Amino acid sequence: MKFLIYRYNPETGTKPHMQAYDVTLQHGDHMLLDALMRLREQDDSLAFRKSCREGVCGSDAMNINGRNWLACITPLASLKEPVTLRPLPSFPVIRDLVVDMTRFFRHYHAIRPYVIDDEPPPERERLQTPAERSELDGLYECILCACCTGFCPSYWWNPDRYLGPAALLQAMRFIADSRDRATAERLEFLDDAYRLFRCRSIMNCTEVCPKHLNPNRAIDRIRMRMLKHEI
Amino acid sequence: MTAVLTGLRAWTVQRVSAVYVLFFFLTTLVWLAVHRPVSYAQWHAWVTSGGVRPAMMLFFAALLVHAWVGLRDVLLDYVKPLLIRAAALGALALGLAGLGGWAAQILISA
Repeated sequence: MKFLIYRYNPETGTKPHMQAYDVTLQHGDHMLLDALMRLREQDDSLAFRKSCREGVCGSDAMNINGRNWLACITPLASLKEPVTLRPLPSFPVIRDLVVDMTRFFRHYHAIRPYVIDDEPPPERERLQTPAERSELDGLYECILCACCTGFCPSYWWNPDRYLGPAALLQAMRFIADSRDRATAERLEFLDDAYRLFRCRSIMNCTEVCPKHLNPNRAIDRIRMRMLKHEI
Repeated sequence: MTAVLTGLRAWTVQRVSAVYVLFFFLTTLVWLAVHRPVSYAQWHAWVTSGGVRPAMMLFFAALLVHAWVGLRDVLLDYVKPLLIRAAALGALALGLAGLGGWAAQILISA
């Protein structure tokens, strides 16, 4: 199977370039990550991240034939050759397909991704009704792989100030949480020209979410909550 | 205007103005289809009748505010150097204000 892979190693000083590979697959190689592992047997200088191998950890997010997705859940049979692999767009490259996620996680931390409740804790846990719990469906499943954020043109234009779809989906996850007591502060934090409102509903985020979530809808829900809060 | 018309406020203003612009545009199209004014006198009589003039002024105001929010967003996305951005925003504000003044002048003198 033929591959064309982005190669860049800042330690060697060579410019980024695309390198062609021809990989002989073996029985049991079904997913793109299997092919990458096979490829690394040929060339152990190729760098990429991986961990769970089943679409849960989000480590192996990359741009596959022009579309962000996870290598471990991409069937080789679905790919057109030569399979072109690049790092996540707009993320600084550390080496080959490995990107620097610092800014991505800075935005994630900025939305305070935890339940805030300064009231005295109850004797047992803070309970939710099934209806309150269902408000989190479609939000809590995000694995922070950054496929959506790396495919968002608004993020390409303003990566330092626009939080991006992943962080905003997580923001809605805590705004929607009935146990959280900081909704007003969360909404006020997002109400500026950049953090939330750079989203132009291009919907690339929804198109490339490997967990089939809808960050665009989460962003819309934040806007509507903001509007209700303001009224 | 950039500072006061930002975030949720700008987003809301852009959507409300879009609804009004669409409403006025469609209403005008229906009126034109029904009455088919063939002379300036008929057109003038319609513009100066009842609440048409203030409604038309509101239409131009909504159109200009809508354009300001949209074009300002484009400038914020693409024009990064602060001086060039400020100059572009200033030119845009002046241009839109000029168009607004021109429209108001025509409508008031009609």
